[in-house]
Parts: sequence; structure tokens; C-alpha cells
Amino acid sequence: MTVAWPENRRILGTRVTRLDGPAKSTGRAKYSYDINRPGMLHGRILRCPYARAVVKTIDTSAAEAMPGVKAIHNIVKPGAELFYAGDEILGLAADTEEHANDALRAVRIEYEVRPALVVEEDALKNDRSTAPPRGQKNVRPPMEKQTDEFELGMAMSDVIVEGTYGVANICHQCLEPHGLVAEWDKDGGLTVWASTQAVVGTAQALAAHFSNQKIDLPANKVKCITHYVGGGFGSKFGPDVQGIVAAELARKAGAAVKLMLDRAEEVTVGGVRPSAYGKVRIGGSLDGSVTAYDVDTYGSPGVGNGATVGPLPYVYPFESKTKHTVVRLNTQTQRAMRAPGHPQSCFFTDCAIDDLAGKLVVNPLRIRYKNLPQNDPEAIKSAPTSLAALRNTIYKRELTLAARLSNWREKWHAPGKGPRKGPYAHGIGMALHTWGGQASPQKNECTVVIASDGSVLARSSTQDLGTAQRTVTAIVTAEILGLQPSDIKVELGESQYGASTGSGGSTTCPSQAPATLVAALAARDDLFAKIAEKLGAKKENLTIEAGKVTDKDSKNSWDWKQACARLGMDQAKGEGSWTYEDSKNENSKNVSNVGVGGVQVAEVLVDTETGVVRVTKVIAVQDCGLIVNLQGVESQVAGGVIMGLNYALFEERIMDRQTGRQVNPNMEFYKLGGIEDMPQIVVQMVDMPERGVIGIGEPPTISTHAAIANAIFNAIGVRVPTTPFTPDKVLAALAKA
Amino acid sequence: MNDTKNPTISKPGPSRRDFLRGTGVAGAAAAVTALAPLPLHAEQPAADAAVAIGPGPVQLTLDVNGAAMTTKVEPRVTLLDALRNYLDVTGCKRVCDRGSCGACTVMLDGKPVYSCTTFALEAQGRKIKTAEALFADGKLDAVPASFVQHDAQQCGFCTPGFVVSLRAALDANPKATPAEIEEALSGNICRCGTYEQMRHAIAELCGKGAPEKKGGEA
Repeated sequence: MTVAWPENRRILGTRVTRLDGPAKSTGRAKYSYDINRPGMLHGRILRCPYARAVVKTIDTSAAEAMPGVKAIHNIVKPGAELFYAGDEILGLAADTEEHANDALRAVRIEYEVRPALVVEEDALKNDRSTAPPRGQKNVRPPMEKQTDEFELGMAMSDVIVEGTYGVANICHQCLEPHGLVAEWDKDGGLTVWASTQAVVGTAQALAAHFSNQKIDLPANKVKCITHYVGGGFGSKFGPDVQGIVAAELARKAGAAVKLMLDRAEEVTVGGVRPSAYGKVRIGGSLDGSVTAYDVDTYGSPGVGNGATVGPLPYVYPFESKTKHTVVRLNTQTQRAMRAPGHPQSCFFTDCAIDDLAGKLVVNPLRIRYKNLPQNDPEAIKSAPTSLAALRNTIYKRELTLAARLSNWREKWHAPGKGPRKGPYAHGIGMALHTWGGQASPQKNECTVVIASDGSVLARSSTQDLGTAQRTVTAIVTAEILGLQPSDIKVELGESQYGASTGSGGSTTCPSQAPATLVAALAARDDLFAKIAEKLGAKKENLTIEAGKVTDKDSKNSWDWKQACARLGMDQAKGEGSWTYEDSKNENSKNVSNVGVGGVQVAEVLVDTETGVVRVTKVIAVQDCGLIVNLQGVESQVAGGVIMGLNYALFEERIMDRQTGRQVNPNMEFYKLGGIEDMPQIVVQMVDMPERGVIGIGEPPTISTHAAIANAIFNAIGVRVPTTPFTPDKVLAALAKA
Repeated sequence: MNDTKNPTISKPGPSRRDFLRGTGVAGAAAAVTALAPLPLHAEQPAADAAVAIGPGPVQLTLDVNGAAMTTKVEPRVTLLDALRNYLDVTGCKRVCDRGSCGACTVMLDGKPVYSCTTFALEAQGRKIKTAEALFADGKLDAVPASFVQHDAQQCGFCTPGFVVSLRAALDANPKATPAEIEEALSGNICRCGTYEQMRHAIAELCGKGAPEKKGGEA
């Protein structure tokens, strides 16, 4: 069947307040952390206090005798080597949290402490083998790439600018920590209330864990419930160690167990966006063309693996040479964080561009305009709504809007030559970004049921991380059925509701909105088939208008409830599913799409006496294809900007090389901005309904820090090379000016 | 350890000095010196004598959103944990658990406090108001209503704390300016980044039509 968004949209693209807003803002929404079950125990995990150690002995006898202790579960055996401070040793459950904490302190562990590396530079200066697997060096062989005409590009450049740049390790700091409540039923089934971005994936991973232990637990006997999630940002896929431990403890104790990480644990093991530091040489012509780009970076995924940068050069198709070195450290493994790799790559590209523009005395807007990627002629023919076919058009439109909204022509000045008010130097800077945001390659499902009283239920196992996905489901259903979003009862976040994928890569809306569209269309057609005869109409002549069903032939109309009443004892139902493949299918293309652009402009005031940077205004211009909920999208974009601002000014995981531990696993020394630190944020969406739905969660946070970095450069005329742009770094840069 | 021989009775609630004296030893062995003005429990002795309570659970009665709620907790239990773990009042959230993020904010006799750094026993005899109280008789209070209208929430985990802080600020000064409200919210942290939308809500609540433009244009 042909699937398409309606041409005339009543609700899609308008501002719809989120359905669960009242429940959340008055504390009545129950998050996983808020679940209290009858007889529930509290679980805690004992963690290795050293960056690297062998567990020699584990003595739980004293802990077992402590009041209220009901179960202990060993995660590792004596002899195990642990590779970062925070690595798990054992879990226990007690009747109260107080008792669980007491018992944790009574566990006696003997460690053999081994040398460890927790800072990138230390490993680069004196490489060792401190991360698993044994014998492998911490500094991995670099990954290198070079384009054909890189050398030629460098050779013909008029100017070459060299600079060092870097972004710190930062922590996800989800406000609701990772963890879950686990409860086994009499029939051997397991229910978990998990704080997760992957409801179905978490249930399946738990089933797989117990099946591997020879405990019969088919996936259909595991239920994961996640009605609300207090933030994830890429760090909450699957049950994790603590989820498995909670389920093990619950099984041993024969009681429900709640195991949520405390703040120090959340920061230490709940997720980190990896660092990236490096050097860039960028060559350009006097006319502002970038002729060649050479970038040599390193970064640490902790004990994990994988690169810590994304595509380089970023957005722009420069002739380039790239080198990236992975430095493994005795710190928690990296996790995806809101556009993994892209903020790092954006920083190395967009900051270097402004340094080159400074040297060439070219307006940064002009150098960007001049070096944008062209629309791909092949793509224009084969896939005219693809980003490749439209990228030049999109970026030019967004640059135009950003320039207009920021009053760029008036505000921009040569670096360090702007207006000053006392010690305050004004600066303005910009940066560009891109992201995919396609439908998931795996199936996402939705079910829409129309009852004979006219009430409508839309149901999916997918999760709402705060993205207002619940409201998206209601909007799409209401649009098709001629109703209002508040008329739709939406049930999300339970694994038994069908297939859904984890919310990663900004894939949820472009997967779920189309699945809901298909389901709502099918439910509508089922309704028509079941009531047409009773209405004295032909089903193919029935159509939906706002609040009513109309017979195109007789021009008769029935109020929605009147029409649905004809269902009698029956109900109408539609099932929908969606995958990335469907988005390429001839009959359903442009329902969802992939690839967005975005331009951000930041304005700052730098106090040249104290080094304090204040961001005064951010303009965020963003496309995401067809906008489902304008209010939800604006919230996502403004939130992304704020996350980027925190990245620029405040956030840094600080490791102590003496103890191997994080110095600031908390919220008083790990800084996040408050409302008074915030600039005015102007969000300008570029609606492109002809492209279909594209994900928006990640892109708007990518380029904010680079735009702020460039604004600081514009203010003071020197580069502050690494985040966070704290007063000490600003003053150090000024001292060199 | 606890010095119960020389109790000082001055103002309601333990002084900083008494508190430090009472909790000289951390962990399970610690007991808190409770002073007479605190209405502790039924067995409480005469008003001029101090009594050492704990470390085991003691009777606790709290006035939560107008309802008397009773349970037994160890004296070391915070108001936050008593509400969440013992009384199933979960609108106040545990995030930093050490007085730096504001997600646990509740009103104590109308004043906003971090419930994670308030002992449950200290809250006896005082009126505790949580975010749940801002939805009564099917009606949403103006503060959460404005948060909904302007979408000043995403994941929502910090939101009840912000809403309670803001309600308390407006109760204290109904004519507060947006800048004064922002100052009142400076002890609350949001991770999703809802501050821009929050400003729109604040502007509405302060009777300003448009969002206040902060920082100005240089």
C-alpha cells in the first residue's frame, strides 16, 4: 500500500504541548527510580577503588551477618583483574538502603594494586600495557587516511595556519541514574522497571543473560517497563551490569530489588563522551578557498575501544590528511553521547576554519559559504530529497537565516577588534553540523485501536526519553483520525507491546512516526470496512474530516462518536511497522528520510580582566525534514544548545593520576550551568515536509561549543584551544596575545 | 560521641554546633542528639531534657501535603529518603544527594529546602509540601501549568524541584521579577536544557508578555 503524509496537515508541524507534562511537572509521573514494590529490597554494588587491581580475596562473612542483608551476588571471582576505579566486584541487597550501605562497608576485599594510566598525555609520554587485553599497549596504532590531492592542496596554499585544539572527557550526568527494579513472579517470569533508552533490548538482554546461566527464561517471560526516563543521552542501552545484578539478587532473595546507581557511581561508570585533542594544519588561498586540511588527533575511549572522533574533515569536502590515535586508559568505557564523534570533529574543523579566516582576514561567513559541499548531481537524479542532493541548498538557506537572525553583518568584526565596554570584549562566531537521523534498520511497530465509543488507543513498546515521543504518537494518530492529540490515549514503554529499537542515532521519531502513520491509516480503513454498510455507504467513499466521518458520495456526515458507535461489539484496529528499507521503497519514500544540516551562531562577552566568558545569545538554525511537533522540536534544539554550552564552558571529567580516580564524580565540582548562566536562545526551524520525518535529538548539540569557541576567538583575537573555556584558560590565552 | 549532659536549647531545631556534636561518629553507630523543641514521638520525655535516639529506627510522623504520614526510620535517614523510600512520596527526586542540584526540593513551612540535606526527624511538626500538592481537586497550579504550556521540561526529572522552588519564590514575593525568580532557581540544575522554555514560563508567571532577553545585545 502507498504510505504518505497527508498533504493538508491540521496538527503536524504545529505546537502541541506534551501529553505527560502535567504528570511530570507535579511529580506524579513514576520513573523507574520511583517504583516501590511490596517487600522490595535495596541493592548496592561494591566497586574497585583502584584504577587497576587484582582481587586477591573476597570476604563477605561480616556483611552477611549485618542486619537486613538478604542476598549477595559475586560479580567477579578472586583472581580477577579490574581495570578502572568503579569496576564492579559484587552486589548485595538488604531490607533498607541504610542497611545495604552498612553491609557494603563490611565486605573485606584484598587487592593487589597495579600500575595504571588515567590521563591521555601520560600514556603518550610513557606507553604501557595497563588496559585489557593483557600485553596490548595502551596507545593503539593510528588510523590514517589521505585524499589524492592533499599534497597538491597544501603546496598551492597561500597561507597555512597551525593550531592545537581539544575537547575534554565529559560525563552524561543523567539526572535519573542508571538502574532498575527487578521482580520475579511465581511462574518464573521477570519484570523490570528500567531506566533505559531500549525497552525491548533490555528485556531481551536479561533473557539472554539468564539463558546463558542455564536458567530457563525465554524473552516472552521478561517484561521491561519504562514509562518515564530521567535522561539517557546515549548512555542507557541494555540492562548493564547493575541491571543484571539486580535481577540476580532478586532471584536469590525471592523479593523485588531496586538497584539505582548513586551520583558518584552514575558519573564514574554511567557514561562518558570521549576526549579528543590534536593538531590541525589548514591551508587556504587568499580568496578564502581551503586548499588542504591536515588533522592529527588522539583521544581516549577509556577501557573501551573505538575512535573518539567522527568524520574528518567535518561537513566540508577538503583535500585532507587525517590521523587518529586511540589512547586506552584505566577509566570507564566510552558510551555514545548525543551525536558520538561529531562534536569532536566539528571542533577540529570549524575552529581551524576561523583561525585560517583570521589569518586571511576573511569573514568567517564567507569562508564557510565558499567551501560548502556542492549538491551531488548523481543524487539529484537518483534521490532528489536526499541530503546529498540538497546539502548546498540547505546550508546556504541556513547560513542566510543565521546571518539575518544574528545580524552578522553588523555584529561581526575582525578578531580582537570588536567593541569593548570596560573589560568586556564582544565576540561572535559560528559553526556548522550534520547528522543522519534515519529510521532504524530494525522494525518498529505501533498498534492503533478504535473502540465503539470513539476512544482511541495508540500503543508501542518504544520509550520517551523526554523527547515527547508519547506526544508524537498522539499527534500522528490524531492527524489521521481527525481528532486532537489529547483525544488519543498513548501507551508506551512496555516490551510486550511489540517491536521497537533503542533510542540511539536520533532514530526514534523517524521510525515511530511512520509506524504510527501506517497503523492509524490501517485502523481508519478497518473502521470504514466495518461501519460502511451500517452507514449505508461504500467504504471507499468514506473519508475523515476534523471530528467526523463523511461519505463523499452522499455528502452525509457522522460525528466521530456516532460513526464509531456503528462498531457495536467490535473494534477497529490497525497495525503499523517501519524500517529504513520502507523509507526507500517506491510506495513509501519520503515518509522518513536521512541527513540534516544545521548552523549555529554564538555571541559572547569575555571579561578580559577575570577571564570569565558569558554567552549572551545563540542562534540555532536547524532542519529535520517534516516537523511533527514544532514545540517539541524547538525544545530539543534549545536543549541541545544548552548541552553544547555546558560542554564549552563548564564540563570536564578530572582524573587524579595519583589515585586513579575521578576527582569530581558529583554535581558541585562537575559543573553544569544554571538558568542564570544561560544566553537568550533563538531557534529557527527550516521545515522541509517534502523530505519526510528525520531525527532531531542529536544534531543541535554538535556545533554549539565550536560556535562559542569561535566567538571567544573573535572577541579576544587569540584561540583558547581546549574546552572547557574556564577563566584560567582564557587568561592564559590572553597572556599570549 | 554524644554529649547529652549539657543540652543547649535556644531556637527550634538543632544548632550547627549541636548537630556536629551529635553526629561526631559517622555510620551505623551514630546517633543524633535530638533537642526538646522537636516533637519527636509519643514517648518523648519532658521538654527540658534532651534524649539520645537511635541508632535503631524511631517513630516518625510527617505532615506531607496536609496528610499525617507515619513510619519508622533510623535517625540518619534524610527527609528525601523518608519520603521516597518509606512513604512512597516520589515527586521529590534523588539526583546529587548532597545539596547541589535541587531535584529534591520540597517546601518546609513554605520555604524551599533540599530534602536530601534535611533529616527526616527535623521535619516533624512542620508542613511539608511536595510537587504533588500542585495538582489538587483536578486543578493544576499556575506554575506547573505554565511549565506545561511553554514546554519547560523534557525528561522531567529535575522539573518537580524547579516547580517547587518557583512556587515558593512566588509565594514569598508575588511581585517577583523574572531576574529575582531566576536567582531563586539558581540552586536547581537541569540536564536536558529546558532553561529557555523555563524563561518563557517565568515571563508569563511574572506577568510579562514576552520572554525576558538576558545578557542584552552588546
